[in-house]
Amino acid sequence: MTFVLFLSVFLIAACGLIYELIAGTLASYLLGDSVLQFSTVIGSYLFAMGIGSGLSRFLTRGLVARFISIELLVGLVGGFSSALLFLAFAYTQAFRLLLYVLVLAIGVLVGLEIPLLMRILKDRFRFRDLVAHVLTFDYLGALGASLLFPVLLVPHLGLVRSAMLFGLINAGVALWSTFLFRDQLGPIAPLRLACLAVLALLAAGMAEAPRITAAAEDNIYADEVIFARDTRFQRIVLTRWKDDLRLFLSSHLQFSSRDEYRYHEALVHPGLAALSFARRVLVLGGGDGLAVREVLKYPGVESVTLVDLDPEMTRLFSTNPVLVELNAGALASPRVRIINQDAFPWLESTSDVFDFAVLDFPDPTSFSLAKLYTTAFYRLLGRHLSRQGMAVVQSTSPLFARQSYWCIVETLKQAGFRTWPYHVYVPSFGEWGFVLAGSAPYEPPSRLPDGLKFLSARNLPELFQFPNDMLPVQAEPNRLNNQVLVRYYEREWSAIAR
Amino acid sequence: MERHRPLKSSRRQFLGAAIVGLVPKTDRPVAGSFVHDSHPLGHRLRDRAAFQRPRQTLKIPVVIVGGGIAGLSAAWHLDRRGFRDFVLLEMEAHAGGNSRWGENEITPYPWAAHYVPVPDKGATLVRELFQELGVLTAGGWDERYLCFAPQERLYLHGRWQDGIEPAVAATTRDREQYRRFQQLIAGFRAGGQFTVPMETGARPSPLDRVSMAGWLRDQRLDSPYLNWYVNYACRDDYGAMADGVSAWAGIHYFASRDPEDKGPLTWPEGNGWIVRRLLAKLNRFVRTGSVVHHIAPQGRRWRVLTEQTEYLADAVIFAAPTYLAPYLIEGAPPTAALEYSPWLTANLTLDRLPRERGSGPAWDNVLYDSPSLGYVVATHQSLRSHIDRTVWTYYWALAEDTPAAGRRRLLERDWAYWKEAILNDLGRAHPDIRACVSRIDILRLGHAMIRPGVGFLLSDARRRLAGRVGALFFANSDLSGLSLFEEAQYRGVKAADRALQLLGGR
Repeated sequence: MTFVLFLSVFLIAACGLIYELIAGTLASYLLGDSVLQFSTVIGSYLFAMGIGSGLSRFLTRGLVARFISIELLVGLVGGFSSALLFLAFAYTQAFRLLLYVLVLAIGVLVGLEIPLLMRILKDRFRFRDLVAHVLTFDYLGALGASLLFPVLLVPHLGLVRSAMLFGLINAGVALWSTFLFRDQLGPIAPLRLACLAVLALLAAGMAEAPRITAAAEDNIYADEVIFARDTRFQRIVLTRWKDDLRLFLSSHLQFSSRDEYRYHEALVHPGLAALSFARRVLVLGGGDGLAVREVLKYPGVESVTLVDLDPEMTRLFSTNPVLVELNAGALASPRVRIINQDAFPWLESTSDVFDFAVLDFPDPTSFSLAKLYTTAFYRLLGRHLSRQGMAVVQSTSPLFARQSYWCIVETLKQAGFRTWPYHVYVPSFGEWGFVLAGSAPYEPPSRLPDGLKFLSARNLPELFQFPNDMLPVQAEPNRLNNQVLVRYYEREWSAIAR
Repeated sequence: MERHRPLKSSRRQFLGAAIVGLVPKTDRPVAGSFVHDSHPLGHRLRDRAAFQRPRQTLKIPVVIVGGGIAGLSAAWHLDRRGFRDFVLLEMEAHAGGNSRWGENEITPYPWAAHYVPVPDKGATLVRELFQELGVLTAGGWDERYLCFAPQERLYLHGRWQDGIEPAVAATTRDREQYRRFQQLIAGFRAGGQFTVPMETGARPSPLDRVSMAGWLRDQRLDSPYLNWYVNYACRDDYGAMADGVSAWAGIHYFASRDPEDKGPLTWPEGNGWIVRRLLAKLNRFVRTGSVVHHIAPQGRRWRVLTEQTEYLADAVIFAAPTYLAPYLIEGAPPTAALEYSPWLTANLTLDRLPRERGSGPAWDNVLYDSPSLGYVVATHQSLRSHIDRTVWTYYWALAEDTPAAGRRRLLERDWAYWKEAILNDLGRAHPDIRACVSRIDILRLGHAMIRPGVGFLLSDARRRLAGRVGALFFANSDLSGLSLFEEAQYRGVKAADRALQLLGGR
């Protein structure tokens, strides 16, 4: 009997320490700065335990029933603490608030446990023995927990399930106490039912834990997530850090609001400014409306056709105030026509002809995306350009993926285009490449629209100069039946990714 | 007592409902059935059942029997020679034969033949057809019809590898034997005996008197990987194992072609695309639903009987499978030498794609050590960059048994048996396949393709059949012993030429 009682002390002590460790670990994992996180979590936890111990003097009657309820509460709150924190981090902005609320709540409850237990046991032992034994097992429990946590729990169970396992232990101690202290309890059935309910909840949580973690971890980006949505086609995530807004499509960075003007000015103006006759412009990809924003700076352009696969993208960039400010309301312009279709079949089905086409597709990371970088696609594109018309292709990095870049140039040549490759430095991407393609001769424009932040007629010709480490290399043209570009791209980017 | 029963069962239901929520999800139901069964009609012809007497008689110079590639090619050739006095009789509701296709809300898909190898310079007829269809242009082969990358992959030792020649864990011995095999094949290719169409190059050869498996043994090519690969090729092209195929035919598969571009040529509906394009031009000659049940000489003419019409023709091009001849044609030469392999083709509708590590499905996806031939993805040739639903065409040649035993198995087992067999087979490479498939339709073909056994190719029986019976010309590809698009087209065109010669001579 004595041993069983002190085993309870050992267990609840272990549980208490585990919750504290989990809160500290999670906070340092998600927020960084582990010294700060651990200090503040441990400090507030110990402080809350003090509050709990202080409050214990106000509990006077039905001590055993109170003890059991407290065990159940600790089990519930502690057991679900890490799942709640993960989800709060992924889906809300209240992570810190919830962290300290949970730490304080668990601390207060754990602070109540030992004083209550000592008072329940006070008639069974001499005071001197009681204090000695309870505190001994309390500290032993802490030792057990602190060894178990890094060696077994974190590597094998993970944070979410470890918390739930110890919640189960708390609830187990509660159920067990209904048997141990049967003589000091009133009606036992409701208490046991409550114990079983808590045990069942936690067991269900254990079973669902992998899903919770997956849902939460998908959402963890370095910066604050201000928008996240799974569409039929991709996962759209917007993050913000101070005034830097970033768009990720299926976790690939698309732009950073701090330097996107460099990318989009370089994408549009070297070509379009040279085509004074341009009336009809086609933008493929680029549902963010940022390329369209640049195109609309030409009063001569009468119509812009934007083809983007994902209606959620164009809707988001037509309605969200922050994003509409970024693209200057480009998608609402009466000159813009939005078509939400797959680009290749759409281009096959249309008979429209354009003076300038902007190909702003995601990088050729897969066989399906690289179809949009093939001789077949460029030949089709050629049939939709007017005689003097031109196209510009975003073509990944000529520095990091040199052969991929020159493969795109070679593919355009094979499809019958003359090409003018150029590049620009975009801090959030690095060195980035573009290719102008057309059948008529081309000279860099001497006049550009007013108010550009990056490009000027003076620095524009320099973009066409390639330093030694980006000079052309031999590459096969990318065809639908070889898709060499996917292999080049995979090899080159995996060589520099860490 | 009686009154308690409802209470008991409702409690059981309640508990059941409560527990169901906790059990793992059960498999989703899969719809589907056998489709386009042709054996009932075939058995009526075999058993010489009674057919209705036709109500009208039509005199017409040429009747083509059978609307597969051979029959359509005969029609194509007659038409382009400016001869338009003919009909093509097809017993099914749609022409196409082994190039038939289907279509659902996701994509068209093939029911049998699904590609044509890129023809080399010498394949004039095929090139002429493809020029006409816009597949071959001045600038070369249209990229959209060449099989997109990645073309093939093989599931071996728990992972997918590029290409179907087994490479994962291949030993130096395996690789040395691959090399030696390739060298032997290159020698055969240079020899000029293995051509498409076969008739132009084939000469009597000792290779036809030994099986492919026996030839491999004679060459001391015993690598298990190489033997699997050769067996796969024999199952794929002839529906038979390497020990049931003449070495001449087995080698022909590897040595007959020297493509000038990376192919093959393929379309979502397989060779059904070619049929579609041919029909767009030739549909006015085609009478579908015309079951020819009797062909007999009548004076200098031939009587061709269907239930609707009696045709009196000067010449008949018999492009239907030749094994039907004894049941239909009076005085037909014996066809006992012809053996056909039974096949099963299934089209699986996937409204979700299975999870993939790596680059995802190729066009042709093969499982090592599976009795099936794997599956082909119908949306592979789609120009779209986002595909979230698809159709897989799954091929299974019943090659292990004798053709008769295979046919019995094919007809005896019910749809549920084959459905389970297919899902279990695919489940080895795609554990979540049952969560993705919503429908499986199955086509059973008792005589899917000719099986060129030992001694068949250069036998007198085959050469007699390739001749003619008066003004009746056999045109099916089975006369070549090779069930190939090019052979069917060649036989059809050749029969059409001979019919024209005959008519011109009169």
